[in-house]
Amino acid sequence: MKINRWLVFCLIIVFAILLGPFLVIFFASFEPSSTLRFPPTGFTLSWFKKVIAMPMFQKSFIFSLQLALYSSFLSLLLGVPVAYITARYNFKGKRLIELVTTLPVIIPGMVAGLALLRFFVLLNIFSVQATLLIGHTAIVLPYVVRSTLASLVNLPFSIEEAAQSLGAHPLKSFFLVVLPNIRVGIISAFIMTFITSFNNVPISLFLTGPGVSTLPIVMMTYMEYYYNPSIAALSTLLIGATLVVVLLVQKIFGISKLL
Amino acid sequence: MKKYVIILPTLLFLLVFFLLPIFLIMVESVYQPQKGWVINKYVQFFTQRVSRVAYTRSLTISLLVTVVSLAIGYPSALAIVNIANDSLKSLLMTLVVFPLMTNSVARTFSWLAVLGREGLINNLLISLKLIDSPKRLLYTPGAVFFGLLQLFLPLMVISLVSALENLPKEVPLAAKSLGANALNLFTKIYIPLTVEGIVAGSTLVFTGCITAYVTPAVLGGSRVLMLSTLLYQKTSVTLDWSMATVIAVVMFVTTLAVNYLSRKISSLGVSKQ
Repeated sequence: MKINRWLVFCLIIVFAILLGPFLVIFFASFEPSSTLRFPPTGFTLSWFKKVIAMPMFQKSFIFSLQLALYSSFLSLLLGVPVAYITARYNFKGKRLIELVTTLPVIIPGMVAGLALLRFFVLLNIFSVQATLLIGHTAIVLPYVVRSTLASLVNLPFSIEEAAQSLGAHPLKSFFLVVLPNIRVGIISAFIMTFITSFNNVPISLFLTGPGVSTLPIVMMTYMEYYYNPSIAALSTLLIGATLVVVLLVQKIFGISKLL
Repeated sequence: MKKYVIILPTLLFLLVFFLLPIFLIMVESVYQPQKGWVINKYVQFFTQRVSRVAYTRSLTISLLVTVVSLAIGYPSALAIVNIANDSLKSLLMTLVVFPLMTNSVARTFSWLAVLGREGLINNLLISLKLIDSPKRLLYTPGAVFFGLLQLFLPLMVISLVSALENLPKEVPLAAKSLGANALNLFTKIYIPLTVEGIVAGSTLVFTGCITAYVTPAVLGGSRVLMLSTLLYQKTSVTLDWSMATVIAVVMFVTTLAVNYLSRKISSLGVSKQ
């Protein structure tokens, strides 16, 4: 089918809005002077070197990586059983369970962040780190359930029954038969939850204490005081890393698996 | 029964550690043990100029972003769906998803290099001699609008592409062979048959805009206060906790209302068919 010229025009506008700013920030991060400028007046890599060497960015980067890793694992641990049970069985209260596990998507992150700060951190029930882990795990849980469910519905119940009728314990049949067959769903859930947690601002915004801060929050704070290309360099690095991950996912599983 | 035990930890985790605190701040915003019912902060929210302006501004900008992303997203989704070359189609979808996966601080910072005093737009306009000195483009509603548009366009395009892919190719072809022109095809075939995708995409974009923090904070600042930036200001600058809670509840109720409304519209569309 021939594609209308008007449709292509709209498509170009959409991509200009989506990707144009990334190209601009890419070039602006090589600006030698200390103002953010496009087009740049020269070429230097010094902002990249400077930003990589800054302890505040190093520390928060490591912390964000750890937080994303822990919350992804915890959400898989909590989410996969829910997906499995709701895919396999029909029972009273199933709708309620589905509702409870999708609620974290509907609740605005800032509302959750404020509530967690008010009742856990300020009342000294949990440390800032533990509260961050709780918040991040809860908001990524729905992705795990959805992604695992999508893999499970394509898996016939009969292969599991076959394993069990041949004498495998239900746990053994789950780990040796079910899990390997839904690995694409699990891996894409992991990538999605990792990225979502690493990038999160609304929840982390309220839950940063002395010495505990995630990379996006440190970037926000830094931007309030300094208007130089160092954040441009850091942004370029983050955007580049994301592009690599997204292209790899597309090559290996197909991009639709992430959604 | 024994098998269901494995989901108990998940339910307990979400109910006690996540939903309970949110429920409690909602209760606290209307009822406090020492004082009884307290609705004065809600009255303050809707009568004070600052909060009322922030709320209407949030609603207006969000609506505008939703309408514009639908207007340019629908034709683009139609173009993507009709691309015959599968690898090109998949590449385009990847490029739509890519911004969605990118850190929102990095994404929003990119706009500073586009809209800043020495950014792309000002330098372009100066070199074309359309203006002689840089104009202030940042910290304006327009800057927030473009930032949010970039942030949420992918959600709209993805929703519409999946709705259009569920539409059998024969339907528009049949309509064409029966003499439908482009306008008829659009208003009588495409739109009614993809209502669910349109509503789903619009809901995601609208609620996303209402709750987004980074974009209004970086591109709007305190000049263009929105619901989210006002909420943060109340907790960090003025330390008005009860007002912050009221704003959070208003934000939550607004997103719930939008979700409820969109479900209604979606089911109406389905029953009509």
